[in-house]
Amino acid sequence: MDVDAGTFERILTRALGAGDYADAFYERRVSRSYRLQDGRIHEAGLSLTAGVGIRVVSGECSGYAYSDDLSNEALMRTAAVASLIAKNGGERRIALPPAPATPASVYEGEPQLPTDSAAYVALLMRADAAARAYDPRITAVNGFISEELQAVVVATSEGRFITDRRPLVTLAIQTVANGKQRGNGYYGDGRRAGLEFYQERTPEDIARESARIAIVNSEAVEAPAGELEVVVGSGGGGVLLHEAVGHGLEADFNRQGASLYSGRLGEKVANELVTIFDDGNLAGERGSLSIDDEGTPSRHNVLVERGVLRSYLQDHLNASLMNVASNGCGRRQSFRSMPQPRMCNTYMPAGDSTYDEIVGSVKRGVYAKSFSGGQVDISRGDFVFMVAEGYLIEDGRLAAPIRGATLIGNGPAAMTRVVMVGDDPRLASGSYTCGKGGQYVPVGVGMPTVKISHLTVGGSAVG
Amino acid sequence: MADIDVARDAVEYALAAGASDADATTVTLERFRTEARDRKVTKLEESIGRSMTVRAFVEGRKATFSTSDFSREGLREFVRATVDAAHFVVADPLAGPPDSVVDPAPLDLQIYSEDVRRRDNEAKLEDARALEAIGRAFDPRITLTNGSNVADGAATITLVTSRGFCGSYQASSASRSANLIATEGDRKRSGSYGSAARSYAGLETVEFVAQLAARRAVEQCGARKPATLRCPVIFERDVAAHVLADVFGAVNAANVAVGNSYLLGKVGSKVGSDLVTIVDDGRRPKGMATAPFDSEGVPTQRTVVFERGVLETFLYDTYYGRKLAAASTGNASDGGIVARNFHLAAGTQSLEQLIATTSRGVLVIETIGFSTESVTGTYSRGARGFMIEGGELAYPIDEFTIAGNLAEMLGSIDAVADDLRFDAGVVSPSFRVAEMTVSGN
Repeated sequence: MDVDAGTFERILTRALGAGDYADAFYERRVSRSYRLQDGRIHEAGLSLTAGVGIRVVSGECSGYAYSDDLSNEALMRTAAVASLIAKNGGERRIALPPAPATPASVYEGEPQLPTDSAAYVALLMRADAAARAYDPRITAVNGFISEELQAVVVATSEGRFITDRRPLVTLAIQTVANGKQRGNGYYGDGRRAGLEFYQERTPEDIARESARIAIVNSEAVEAPAGELEVVVGSGGGGVLLHEAVGHGLEADFNRQGASLYSGRLGEKVANELVTIFDDGNLAGERGSLSIDDEGTPSRHNVLVERGVLRSYLQDHLNASLMNVASNGCGRRQSFRSMPQPRMCNTYMPAGDSTYDEIVGSVKRGVYAKSFSGGQVDISRGDFVFMVAEGYLIEDGRLAAPIRGATLIGNGPAAMTRVVMVGDDPRLASGSYTCGKGGQYVPVGVGMPTVKISHLTVGGSAVG
Repeated sequence: MADIDVARDAVEYALAAGASDADATTVTLERFRTEARDRKVTKLEESIGRSMTVRAFVEGRKATFSTSDFSREGLREFVRATVDAAHFVVADPLAGPPDSVVDPAPLDLQIYSEDVRRRDNEAKLEDARALEAIGRAFDPRITLTNGSNVADGAATITLVTSRGFCGSYQASSASRSANLIATEGDRKRSGSYGSAARSYAGLETVEFVAQLAARRAVEQCGARKPATLRCPVIFERDVAAHVLADVFGAVNAANVAVGNSYLLGKVGSKVGSDLVTIVDDGRRPKGMATAPFDSEGVPTQRTVVFERGVLETFLYDTYYGRKLAAASTGNASDGGIVARNFHLAAGTQSLEQLIATTSRGVLVIETIGFSTESVTGTYSRGARGFMIEGGELAYPIDEFTIAGNLAEMLGSIDAVADDLRFDAGVVSPSFRVAEMTVSGN
């Protein structure tokens, strides 16, 4: 750690002034990445992000400043800028324990600095070979692998002083197949662990899955247009929960009355088949954190229970203003950004139906097996999600694959139309990243197979 | 100047560690951002940040390093590790710095304005509060907000290369945006608008920004879902720019070279209607993506990408230019190829005239989603806007999608408006596509 307890005490004392709360977030993140292109390692990259972000809260107003210069003068200057929003005077001296606390770890293995180029390169080359061997129609294989270690220290004017070391690995492979048309495949997996993760989750598995999707898409037909029955696949289907519900439960939007879910705690917001958790405590998952970026331990949060809205996703600022406790959802992209309430791993537990029963019940519809992403307008509640692999369903059976279509719905409306929930819940493979207000953080999503009675499918084939 | 010194040192460290070539770009950025909600300032952010990107080549093996730590010991150690990592890259004879060094010419591109540093914070806070107040006063249904922002930045960018290039320039930006919500029973209708320029003087007024955001929110009251149909679609300029961004993705040589573009092999072909003339212009005065030279030190330029529907060229950096047997077009940026004021040439009609000449169609004012499949050009987005009947806006519509194929869309653009504005790196006037699928009920 480049910044000691005494320095944190000084900058917090300088920052707080007559404010209500101040915190300092120190970060040092080292990452390595390698890119695969045309069957060879194309580029290597290293990056170092290090600095301190200082925040002062006064009522509903937050002042923020950061510095990548860790000298005492620069940090004191940064604290002074952050405190501009608070009234002068009323200096309180902040005292911290001599050393930061270490939380119980939710990561797998002992987090280490990434170092060994040969190991990353070998994994990518194995992926390349497996994708090409999968099918002769695979014409292009690209990919990347990255590993990072983020060390953080959080110190607050309430005397909290805590540290965390967060590992993260990601391996993703993009393939192109030449069939009826060129088809794109993308698949990745990662974890809050070291490279040893790819011993059980092999690069061959990941590459073959990417190649399989590319082949499917190279044979795809135009997606239909209009309202249809939609079956959302287990795992990656969790993007639905993330967009249709999760973002709308972030406390900042709700405190300000801007969300469609504002003021609806305790109300029925979904069919009673719907239960949704957000959990930062799942061992090793991509969205997991021992502590959030405000030093609050992560936990298992029940967002929706049998259709009833139970809690919002809280960070320190919004929780204080709403007179509740933070539930560990204060996250930020780096020391350059203020924390916001965010999701960790968002998922739905098992229901009673089997996959066969669900697909078998659809006369004419779409099976959206996985998604490349989604987006939501919090106030209106309209969300979209983009199908990465999808099929027509005809008379209870999967039929032709369909080309990338956007599905659109309204969050609460779609959740009342969840009419079957599968017995096959799982978390999606770990490569999802969530963006909000220009800040990107790793998240996890998961779900069992789910049927939505009607949802608008944005293909181009009419009739 | 300190930035030049540290960039020079980084290049020296790379060469000392065994690199055959190296370059270093430093950016020092002064940032300001404030948010107001309901007439009160709720966020105030102000910082000075530094960052540096070092590229090292070891005989065709490329590795990059990005950092915010300018301390010499840290820099030396990481640059050495970067050069070590380059040894694991497969040598590619095409990888390396540009063949020639062109000294940066003194140009007056008007991308830096002192008014960004001069404007005092209280005036910026007042602007943010005024955006909220004016938005609320516009209509009693504007009762909530997603926040109004005023932000600016002033940056110094410096590039030093081992081949002897040394250049530096300043750039500034300012922006104002309003994000308001109209309430209609228990429904909420959001409306946003933003203005960005190289100076505060270049921005649209606080009144214009706030009222347009408020109008967009209020006009959506009563929106319903349209029936599924095929019809003409008019893209209002902000969403038209999103379509242009997809087109840029398809002419980005880094995508073309890996087979990830539907325009692969189409240079010289007619791929758009006669109205499709698209230009990338890195030298456009006051442009938001204007710069005297790119991240490799290659001079920026004006490039006609589509001329009356014919694809003339892709956009290149040095590496992908060599790969596809073309010269760099000066579009290199850290980590890729960027658009530089990439725009569809403006037409002569107003947006109102486009609407008036559409008997039955859809005007799209906002899209959500981002999954254009660049391999096939398959396009699908969530949208909201207005139904047009008899040449008039009949009623607001939402929760629908528009879908088509980029190739067909460019081929059937049958009207382009005159409302082009250069407030981002990719911009477009409003245009009409003759037929797309609108998916609703």
